[in-house]
Amino acid sequence: MPGLSFDNYQRNHFLTTRGYGQPTATSTGTTIVGCKFKGGVVIAADTRATAGPIVADKNCEKLHRLAPKIWCAGAGTAADTEMVTQLIASNLELHSLHQNSQPRVITALTMLKQHLFKYQGHLGAYLIVAGVDPTGAHLLSVQAHGSTDIGQYQSLGSGSLAAMAVLESHWVPDMSKEDAMKLCADAIESGIWNDLGSGSNVDLCVMEVGKDAELYRNHLTPNVRSEKARSYKFARGTTAVLRESIRDILDVEETVITFGSASVDAMEVDA
Amino acid sequence: MNGISVDINHLKKGEVNLGTSIMAVKFKDGVILGADSRTTTGSYIANRVTDKLTQIHDTIYCCRSGSAADTQAVADMVKYYLQMYASQLPFDEKPQTKIAANIFQEICYNNKDNLTAGIICAGYDKVNKGTVYSIPIGGSIHQQEYAIAGSGSTFVYGWCNENFKPEMEREECVDFIKTALAEAIKWDGSSGGVIRMVVLTEAGVERLVYYPEDYQK
Amino acid sequence: MTSIGTGYDLSNSVFSPDGRNFQVEYAMKAVENGGTSIGLKCKDGIVLAVEKIINSKLLVAGSNKRIQTIDRHIGVAYSGLLPDGRHFVNRGRDEAQSFKSLYKSAVSVPHLMDRLGIYVQNYTCYNSVRPFGIVAIVGGVDENGPHLYMIEPSGTCWGYTGAATGKGRQTAKSELEKLNFEELTVREAIKVAAKIIDQAHEDNKDKDYELEVTWCSLEETGGKHVHVPEDLLQEAIKLAKEDDDDDDDEEEDDDEEEDQEMET
Repeated sequence: MPGLSFDNYQRNHFLTTRGYGQPTATSTGTTIVGCKFKGGVVIAADTRATAGPIVADKNCEKLHRLAPKIWCAGAGTAADTEMVTQLIASNLELHSLHQNSQPRVITALTMLKQHLFKYQGHLGAYLIVAGVDPTGAHLLSVQAHGSTDIGQYQSLGSGSLAAMAVLESHWVPDMSKEDAMKLCADAIESGIWNDLGSGSNVDLCVMEVGKDAELYRNHLTPNVRSEKARSYKFARGTTAVLRESIRDILDVEETVITFGSASVDAMEVDA
Repeated sequence: MNGISVDINHLKKGEVNLGTSIMAVKFKDGVILGADSRTTTGSYIANRVTDKLTQIHDTIYCCRSGSAADTQAVADMVKYYLQMYASQLPFDEKPQTKIAANIFQEICYNNKDNLTAGIICAGYDKVNKGTVYSIPIGGSIHQQEYAIAGSGSTFVYGWCNENFKPEMEREECVDFIKTALAEAIKWDGSSGGVIRMVVLTEAGVERLVYYPEDYQK
Repeated sequence: MTSIGTGYDLSNSVFSPDGRNFQVEYAMKAVENGGTSIGLKCKDGIVLAVEKIINSKLLVAGSNKRIQTIDRHIGVAYSGLLPDGRHFVNRGRDEAQSFKSLYKSAVSVPHLMDRLGIYVQNYTCYNSVRPFGIVAIVGGVDENGPHLYMIEPSGTCWGYTGAATGKGRQTAKSELEKLNFEELTVREAIKVAAKIIDQAHEDNKDKDYELEVTWCSLEETGGKHVHVPEDLLQEAIKLAKEDDDDDDDEEEDDDEEEDQEMET
């Protein structure tokens, strides 16, 4: 029978009610934060990627470039944050070329929210968008369903509660760049230590008005694998050789075929 | 196991919710909108300083309740439609509040199956002065002297009904809203944070913020 | 309009070397032979009137209305190809409805004219279509008071206090120019319109005509565009015919001085 089959719909529904849910896409249990300071904005992220209970990548990049001076940190479904970020980065560049002006953070945010709203939350991208543009420094966040928030400091992802605890207790208005970087790094570290989904290192990006954005890849590396106390390599010859057999499994034959003399047999071409 | 049942009333998984207390009140010189500032995702407060009072035109605002994504998207659409409308008016004219409210109604009704949006649209225009429209979840529209909405509003229906007076003075109206929202916040777990207000009059727009220590008696 | 197209007149969307679109100019020709239509913008509303040429004795008197309504508060009179006019009115109704369905309020006359102007202009841009063979006079009353516009096959759409088109437009225009529109009321304008249509018909006397008049005014019709009541129409026709007879007398009478004496 041609067409779509819905034979398994009821079965799946039944299984769901019994606690056997549908398999889910890889999700990055994550801690991401952002914080404004006097004359700029900084965002930060941890570097752990998970696939269920497995740490899939110990040093992945969760800070994405939307434009040279607009960056965003992504939490949620890894593939979605990556792809949606690349798409918007592309459209943002075309837009700024078209408008003959620097891309703006609000433009990036509007593109993101409209794209995510269109997909009604099926794209699992939770982003903190930050950057500097001709109108100043901005810090915003977008949720998968397309809602946006604005604030002096933001945190998102599974470690957002741990990070927010740090932000809420240490944030003060008009911080210096160094203080803001420290605050963000501390907030991420809080996620790294207290959230199972977050771990490894701290990535950080600083965007300052009138300056190029600076990416601090692995700004903090609090989880360097320590040297093993001893080597677990086995010395050559640890295992005895009982028998050795080397055999050819391929016969190589060479045949040379020659055609008369080259001048006679040259290809004939129609006059 | 037999048949398909779909619960259309609950929010989509992980959706950001505006469990809210919002209101708008007509007074002598125009209209005042008020809202709490809490945004929740389940039991987590995603934003404690949210601005639920959204500008649609110079002196037309709306209060949003329901899904944050849905109401933001609808407000953006209405803003766009109203710009289109305003651009066709003579240069010295501004759109009337009822135009904005009716666009809200049209969008909320036509997409009622996909939206969780309860909106109060209020504004000041030269012809009608202050006006308040309520557009609750099904997409109907009601012009009112004052409107309250959101999960917290249920706690203050009676109080507002007893204490509302038409043609209040500005300070009186601010106190009315502050008291109502303070009660709504006190009794409703999904409402909280600061109380934001927007005063819309002939003179233009004025924003007010009241912190918990101000409004908690 | 004396030159010949020499090949540049067969298609829209093609200019002649001296920058003209002949199809549009030919469309105006279709209008110039149509029955006269006029519109007056008074201080309290607008009046539209048309000269309806009776082509057959068998036509039912008073039927086949020529002036149509686009929205409750907007009317149209047009000269030229009548089916084109009906299409134009249909489009106007669609535009007015689409505006109302979105904004829940009546479209203003200037805004409707903007939209119709764009629509008509579009028919001058493609070689698969021909321009509208009508000039339409659109009048109405909205929250900003009365408005009167005239729209041509080119898409040109201007506001007027008095507008005339069709065969007798020259006569009608010179009569309209004598009026003081700031003081004129719609009630008076009905009679004036009847008179002007009657005068404009002079050049076309071999054919009989019927007068059709509509008005739209806040005070007189509650802001609705409607045909004028029968008694007002008959009174206006009577007055026009009386003046008409006087005019005939004038023509017969060579002695102008005596004529003046009669008036004093």
